[in-house]
Amino acid sequence: MRLPEFVRTTTFRWTVAISGAFALCAFLMFGFVLAQTYSYAVSDADSLNSENVRLIAAEDADARVRRLNEYLQNDPRREKLGALFDSDGHRIAGNIENLPSDLPPNLAPRNIFLVRVDAFGRERQRARSVARQLDGNQTLVVGRYVEDFTRTAEISRRALTLGLVPALCLSLAAGAFLSIRAQRRVEEVNRKVQRIVDGELRQRLPTRGTNDPFDELARLVNCMLDEIEVLVRRLEGVGDDIAHDLRTPLTRVRVSLERARQRAVSVDDLRRSIDQALVGLDQSLAIITALLRISEIEHSRRMDGFRNVALGDLVREVGDLYEPIAEDKEVDFAVRAEADTTVHGDRDLLFEAIANLVDNAVKFTPQGGRVELSLLRQGKEAVVRVRDTGPGIPADESELVTRRFYRSDKSRSEPGLGLGLSLVSAIAKLHGFNFRISSGPGCVAELAGQSAAA
Amino acid sequence: MVHETVIGLTGAPEPLDQSEAEPGRQTEPYAGPDEGSLMSRVLLIEDDAETAREIMAELVDRGFEVDWAATGIEGLDKARAGEADVMIVDRLLPGVDGLTIIEVARQERVCKPVLVLSALGAVDDRVRGLRAGGDDYLTKPFAIQELIARIEALLRRPSENRDTVLRVGPLELDLLSRTAERGDRTIDLLPREFRLLEYMMRRKDQMLTRAMLFEEVWNYKFEPQSNLVDVHMGRLRRKVDATNEQPMIHSVRREGFILRAPA
Repeated sequence: MRLPEFVRTTTFRWTVAISGAFALCAFLMFGFVLAQTYSYAVSDADSLNSENVRLIAAEDADARVRRLNEYLQNDPRREKLGALFDSDGHRIAGNIENLPSDLPPNLAPRNIFLVRVDAFGRERQRARSVARQLDGNQTLVVGRYVEDFTRTAEISRRALTLGLVPALCLSLAAGAFLSIRAQRRVEEVNRKVQRIVDGELRQRLPTRGTNDPFDELARLVNCMLDEIEVLVRRLEGVGDDIAHDLRTPLTRVRVSLERARQRAVSVDDLRRSIDQALVGLDQSLAIITALLRISEIEHSRRMDGFRNVALGDLVREVGDLYEPIAEDKEVDFAVRAEADTTVHGDRDLLFEAIANLVDNAVKFTPQGGRVELSLLRQGKEAVVRVRDTGPGIPADESELVTRRFYRSDKSRSEPGLGLGLSLVSAIAKLHGFNFRISSGPGCVAELAGQSAAA
Repeated sequence: MVHETVIGLTGAPEPLDQSEAEPGRQTEPYAGPDEGSLMSRVLLIEDDAETAREIMAELVDRGFEVDWAATGIEGLDKARAGEADVMIVDRLLPGVDGLTIIEVARQERVCKPVLVLSALGAVDDRVRGLRAGGDDYLTKPFAIQELIARIEALLRRPSENRDTVLRVGPLELDLLSRTAERGDRTIDLLPREFRLLEYMMRRKDQMLTRAMLFEEVWNYKFEPQSNLVDVHMGRLRRKVDATNEQPMIHSVRREGFILRAPA
């Protein structure tokens, strides 16, 4: 037989478990109350019994009978038992039929059955009893019917049946209801997710405006979907940019080849056109190589190849490499690497990143300008700063420039691939470094990373 | 004749700014190896038929004898035979890693130099290690000139000569005193210029591409955006070839540089 769907849900299982635990608790609680009541009733009976035994035993033979009768009078609930027996076991006075054989005298109180005989008749009662051997070979038996306890037990039993059973039924029903509701919601979400998986990226999970955890989860997932949608759109944008940046040189190649085919009259003409075409092709290929290089860095897991790298040497080497270029361009180039610090990283990639920053700075700084490459120490951070006196980057573009292919409109006319800064950004990300670009006068690019412990 | 073939996806980007290239000093494009490496045997292990055909055509044009293996198994057999002077091994062959072929061949004491072709994303420490072992690697896509130049560099590894003075024509480089002279003229060199000249003198008459120089002299393997190598080479050339002297450092358009003794 197959169980109904809701029985298999987590909610329902939890409901059953919690109801069970609740019932167990109730039983334990009643049990505890009963045990307490019982022990109270027993100790109460015992103390009353021993008090009366003491009083009766203190009297002489005649007074005993009187006192016993006094005691037994005035007993509307028929709970007092008591009798005096002679040495043969015959009753002298009292309301107990026989001397009980299972109650040895002068010992601790016991629960035994006694037979009561009085004006109302004969009745067997369970009583807390004690016996005492008196002088004159008489035996005194005093008992107390612990009616309170029996009654309490009866009430508890009834309370349990009347209270617990409906409560359990109610909780199971609530569990079934809740799990059916949750089940419906999960199914609804599943349907939506399936549609998103099928490509409908605009779908969102349903929310109900309540603040329950389910709603919160749905909202969070929706936020994630928003982010994914933005990223996908952006990726499409990058695709367009790539197409655009590739189309420009390729169009030039095509035009140059076409013209050569129609107009060239000598081998030299042809050669010139082919050279031109090759430049355009190389440019396109360089774009693709740079793109592959960036994704290689972005996807690399080369953290295990990281070593301690002395930034001072690295900065001086980059300076050494670019000094002639700056000089040719008549740009003043200053390298300052006094604060020598070490960072944990890939030496080659860090070199490439710094070289790219300097390359950019030198490229965009006009003749007579100045480029500064410096290594600073700010607290625990090592900062490589490249400052130039070029046109700078407008504040609203400073984040965009690290994106692939982004080139400030001002720089469209400069040769370059528009990929340098995204490469730096990728390398910084791999190292967990901070890459900042800000605009003072000119442009300031900073690569900041935690100094390695010496 | 300027002839450039690109294998795979892209070629090494030429510097976009050619201002450093001095047109008056350009020689004819590099035609091929001279007598030293004639009829060298190249074993090409490459599964892509078209790529292999292009590489073979170019190598044959330049006077090499080429043996082509299209699969890893065939390549391994030929490599173990050890008849080739140099091997070109594609890293990614169906079912076999090119590096495994090299390792097996090395175990059988075939010590011929190897050039590994690797996809850009597949350059790991094992591939990088090749350079330390005297072999070389090239990432696809690459320009065929780059491949040829590297093959020749592998074939003509500088002899392990312990001379402390290098000589090419009138040019003399003292490795101990760190001085350079051309005839009677002393050349004042910065340390990096000294390293560059030393590298070129050890490989005279050999085509050296920009990427090779950047890797070997500066020890970095990435493609600088600016015409770095050209600028540094320009400096060195102005010092080595004075205005009234016959040029020794020749730039080959679109390919690289050669150091030659004056005719």
